[in-house]
Amino acid sequence: MCGIVGYIGEREAQPILVNCLKRLEYRGYDSCGIALPGNTVETHKDAIRVEALERVLGPSSLPLGIGHTRWATHGKPSQENAHPHEDCGRNIAVVHNGVIDNFLQLREQLSQEGHTFLSETDSEVIPHLIEKYYQGNLEEAVARSLKDIVGSYAFICFHVDHEELVMARNQSPLIVGIGDRENYVASDVPAVLDYTDRVIYVEDGEIGVATKEGIRFSRNGQQVEKTEHQIPWTIEEAQKAGYDHFMIKEIHEQPKVIRNTFKGYISALEPIVTLGVTREIDFNVLILACGTSYHAALIGKHLFQQLAKISVQVELASEFNYSDIVLSKTWVIIITQSGETADSMKALRKAKASGCRTLVITNVVGSSATRLADEVLYITAGPEISVAATKSFVAQLIMLYLLALGWASADTRSLGNMIAELRQLPNRVHEILDREEAIAERAKYLAKYDNIFLVARGVNFPVALEGALKIKEIAYIHAEGFAAGELKHGPFALLTPDTPVIAIVSKDSTYETLLANIREIKARESPVVAIAEDGDVEIDKYVDFVIRVPAVDPLFSPVVNSIALQLLAYYMAKARNCPIDMPRNLAKSVTVE
Amino acid sequence: MGRVEQAVILAAGEGQRLRPFTVSKPKVMIPIANKPIMQYVIDAVALDGIRNIVVVVGYRKDQVVDYFGSGEKFGVEIDYVEQTQQLGTAHALKQVKKKVHGRFLTLSGDNVIEPGTISTLIDVEQDTILVNEQENISKYGVIEAQDGIVTSIVEKPKEAISHLVNTGIYSFGSEIFDGIEQETDLTSVIRNMIALGREVRICEATGAWLDVVYPWDMLKLNDLALAKTSPVTGGTIESGVTMKGLVSVGKGTIIRSNSYIVGPAIIGENCEIGPSVCILPSTTIGNNVCIAPFTMITNSMIADGVEIGPNSTIQDSIMDKGSLLKGHFVTQSGETDIRIDDEYHRVRIGAILGERCSIGDSVVTCPGVIVGNRSQIRALKVLDGSVPDESLVM
Repeated sequence: MCGIVGYIGEREAQPILVNCLKRLEYRGYDSCGIALPGNTVETHKDAIRVEALERVLGPSSLPLGIGHTRWATHGKPSQENAHPHEDCGRNIAVVHNGVIDNFLQLREQLSQEGHTFLSETDSEVIPHLIEKYYQGNLEEAVARSLKDIVGSYAFICFHVDHEELVMARNQSPLIVGIGDRENYVASDVPAVLDYTDRVIYVEDGEIGVATKEGIRFSRNGQQVEKTEHQIPWTIEEAQKAGYDHFMIKEIHEQPKVIRNTFKGYISALEPIVTLGVTREIDFNVLILACGTSYHAALIGKHLFQQLAKISVQVELASEFNYSDIVLSKTWVIIITQSGETADSMKALRKAKASGCRTLVITNVVGSSATRLADEVLYITAGPEISVAATKSFVAQLIMLYLLALGWASADTRSLGNMIAELRQLPNRVHEILDREEAIAERAKYLAKYDNIFLVARGVNFPVALEGALKIKEIAYIHAEGFAAGELKHGPFALLTPDTPVIAIVSKDSTYETLLANIREIKARESPVVAIAEDGDVEIDKYVDFVIRVPAVDPLFSPVVNSIALQLLAYYMAKARNCPIDMPRNLAKSVTVE
Repeated sequence: MGRVEQAVILAAGEGQRLRPFTVSKPKVMIPIANKPIMQYVIDAVALDGIRNIVVVVGYRKDQVVDYFGSGEKFGVEIDYVEQTQQLGTAHALKQVKKKVHGRFLTLSGDNVIEPGTISTLIDVEQDTILVNEQENISKYGVIEAQDGIVTSIVEKPKEAISHLVNTGIYSFGSEIFDGIEQETDLTSVIRNMIALGREVRICEATGAWLDVVYPWDMLKLNDLALAKTSPVTGGTIESGVTMKGLVSVGKGTIIRSNSYIVGPAIIGENCEIGPSVCILPSTTIGNNVCIAPFTMITNSMIADGVEIGPNSTIQDSIMDKGSLLKGHFVTQSGETDIRIDDEYHRVRIGAILGERCSIGDSVVTCPGVIVGNRSQIRALKVLDGSVPDESLVM
């Protein structure tokens, strides 16, 4: 997703901006650029990587500037469409993240008034609007321009005549990093962590003006007091620590992440989960999420149904936004790693507006979603840099286990057993990580194929979906997950000896039926790789290869199975030489709808 | 001559005699009083004002890099160089040739040193060996010197020709690299230098230098390190808990009623202790450890994530991380002969337990038992001798 940065202070802005942009690379991008205030705006931008941009930059001692990484939404990746954008007089430069809904209308109007547009982007209307209203005070011009703009935005701008950065936000993330006689503005905290750990979160509707001495905010012309936050992450945590890719590092962090997520909520002694989120008996539960988080939500549905006997609906946040049903007496649970996902944010606002109780499960402290929801549960996964979610997915699952166990109607004894299993999960995950080499071998074999199907039943069906997503997004192999029972309703037609099938086999009530499905698949001569638990000797008779995972209670099998699939996808991508941490066309947190 | 500003730490070795603990981690990452051995080295180097550190990694390098990172947390800057094959200390040092300039210190990452131990080496000339007086010299390189100039180095001498032991800590200049050709260990390089008439000096260590060769050395070091830690109290201590002496409790830990803890002892973060657990000197307990009621632990090291069932007795024992022990587990302690590499060692010890073992109810271990990593022991067994990695004892 687009990333924006700004610097004002006493040092050379250019190298600082470049470094901040590098810290935002994990969000995914196709173009980048920076602008500094010379006699007119000095802009360097193109559809290139930040490193390539760095090489073409000349020396500059200017202590103020803005930068951008672009993830194309309106107009193809090109030099013209890259940010920063300027006004006609080349006095004003703007970097923007978001979508201006009424940009066609604004553009037409401004063109009639004599403004010339150089790009196809929606963002370019912003500098021209500011130019139109500018009468010597940049902040006032921005405030006036915002009255005309409909859409989502976080933007930073400067005017060559003023030593200040002006910023505004509506529905797109924006933070300010406070330094010593210098200030930073960025889309995301990691961008500024090299320089400061003191951060202010900009809220929707606020306009901020940063100078090197300080920063002030206003809303509707009224001064706003802001609180400063101390960020507990260090830049070191956001680094690779000797692993080839962030993804594999993050996969290996999972035992620790699981422990950190349940820490404080469960104990060895007493069979209770103390989350502090109470369930109203006559409330329905609706879980909304996108992408990987949606798969966690689908598993959550099984957990709530099996453990707490609660009927749960799960919807894609992006689709929920089109439904006209008025909700009431509903617990709406929103799962979002970043807390900034645009579709989830929109769904959250809608749920709030219809009077639902809202609970957000997220990884990012202070993110937009946490400031809006009634209740927040943090998964403590730490910063996730790899675009493909791994540890945050597993941490989301753990939080859903805790919530389902917390709301469970199970008797104390079986609750105690489940909690004991949960506490042992980090060790089971270690056991899977020990089998990395064996999984890598199987990955080499699977990486040769162009189409792969994954099948499972019950609580592991969403695991098949998630496994397919991982294989698609990082190994660029077409992969589809199916509920095993659905194969014969169509997908069977695609099975050939060249379409291997990964079967996720769990020793629960689905076991026998799934074996029957595997027999049907084998009859079409498709190679079958099973993911099955230690001690399941029966499975060997049915499939070509078995990837072994440690035996756990079937309800916890999604955790071990999905980690085995993460490793499989990672080594498939490695065998195919894919750019694992930054797959093409993808972005880490999707802040446009 | 200015102060030395750079240090090289050799951290590539496995430490085979410390198995089962070194199967999954390098020797430098073995924790003593909840701190990896190499952290003692880095702390000492940083205290003497050296910020620029090059670490030679090899065996299980990811763990070293993961823990120490850029060095920022430890107040130093760390640069890593990989030694892909562990061919000895001279070969390891050769890997850093391009990274060091002028005079630099060379240290082994697997000896525990105190802050101040290397202070005397900071201002001396190059080609100096830091030596330490030891009573029992049979397992070390022993140095004979005259007027501070080394005359010979003898490895593991049968007789006590001198009590000055080579600590493996040196001050070198970049000329040392010219002396490393086919030699694999630094002792041979230094012998060659002496043979060629170069002066190699000695300098006495001003603090403790402690070597970890065998697992039982860990207990001895733990005892010494615990006596020097300053107690910190985080977590929750329920009413009716007695704590005496130097006791550290990490944050997030809960110590339940009627527990009785006598220091020196360290209890890590997020542990659950008790109710009614007795922890006696000199015990180190890692993070996320859970100890059920009526268990007594004395002079032992329990690593992260271990769970110990009720009514257990653990004495003079070492347990690596993640093991799950059911109730009534008893480690007997006593004098015993343990065989490592065809050598017998007479020591007083309880049990040595590898990582992620699973032990059933009412298992009893005889003194000196070594249980390999990830072994499973069924209920009601009496163990003696050693159990290889990943065994199932039924």
